[in-house]
Amino acid sequence: MTQVIVGLVSLLFLMLPPVVDILESIMIIHMHMQMPLLVITGALMAPFFQKKFPAFFAKFNTNGIPGILLFMIIMFYWTIPRTMDDALTMPLVEIFKFISLPFLAGVPLRDSWNKLSTVWKNVTFIIFFIQFTGMGILYIVSPVQLCNNYLVMEQVTLGWGFITMAAAILIYLIQLLFINPSDYE
Amino acid sequence: MIKNRHNTIAIIVVILFGVALFYIGTDGFQAFTAETARTNDLLEEQPKFPEVTLEDSKERVYPISDFEGDYLFITFMYTSCTDVCPELEMNMLQVYKQLPEKYIGEDIRFLSISFDPERDDPETLTKYRGYFESDGETWRMARIPDQTELDNLLEEFGVIVIPDDAGNFTHNSAFYLVDPEGYLIDVMDYKEPDKAAERVKTILDQEVGG
Repeated sequence: MTQVIVGLVSLLFLMLPPVVDILESIMIIHMHMQMPLLVITGALMAPFFQKKFPAFFAKFNTNGIPGILLFMIIMFYWTIPRTMDDALTMPLVEIFKFISLPFLAGVPLRDSWNKLSTVWKNVTFIIFFIQFTGMGILYIVSPVQLCNNYLVMEQVTLGWGFITMAAAILIYLIQLLFINPSDYE
Repeated sequence: MIKNRHNTIAIIVVILFGVALFYIGTDGFQAFTAETARTNDLLEEQPKFPEVTLEDSKERVYPISDFEGDYLFITFMYTSCTDVCPELEMNMLQVYKQLPEKYIGEDIRFLSISFDPERDDPETLTKYRGYFESDGETWRMARIPDQTELDNLLEEFGVIVIPDDAGNFTHNSAFYLVDPEGYLIDVMDYKEPDKAAERVKTILDQEVGG
């Protein structure tokens, strides 16, 4: 239960207006710090929901696929340039961000991950690799300002952030081919 | 088997939710950036140019309604800008040059409005005007000294201007076309001056006659 409390407290901390302001003032921190942190708070709180509604998760997320799909949909949604701008200018979208990332991405991710087969886990990594590479290229080469609230320079920084993460995923996927984890267990 | 059915139902529900979410979030897959959404909204609304008082590079002070009867080709900028504005104004010059001379100053006027009235006084504007071959008559550069009027205009025309600590502004850019009655009729991509010039010329040909 400590985890749940840590998750809840972190979520509340992230909701404090000064914290929100700082995290959202820089584009790459908005997308690659604040948003993932919100997902993590949700993942930490997942055991609470799993204990409260065990039947629900067992019934509707048997093999983990519905959960991971929901996670991906929410993650992709928040990488659209428009949604970042809307979060800054429309309070309703901002509220949706603070609800969707912890509870519709973090919670299902944790519930799904252990249920997923290795193949599906790798498929998830491959999908995110493709998506991050694509978004990275888009944000780097786009000649126009994609987000009205951020400068073009910040956009390029964000693009490289995406590429860095894509590279990390790629390295992980490649090492899977050569290294057998059970050798080290 | 029953367990699996619930799982399948959950997958379908999640996918439907995803489609709905993206549909709503992008105005029916139309607008993936806030800028597209803003332009689409403006074209639908066609807001009227609010009443503002301009002070131009020649220190003349007059209300915007003085331009009624002419088309207005407008950009929003500030002279200390190093990011987008020089390109925006260069492209505006392209449009200016590409229009038939008979329309310039007669049926259409060019206007660059500064949203940094504190620093962009007539003297600064005169200097800036020189860089872009603006004559100060058929293409005027002006500031709106009254902050309330300025904010009101930016709000109406959906121009987002965010000052930062270093004295710069984060802002969006476009070409705005206002008709002789003062209504915004088009918002054009400033990256494509040729297209914008073609569009303005078509409108002028139609409305004013060749």
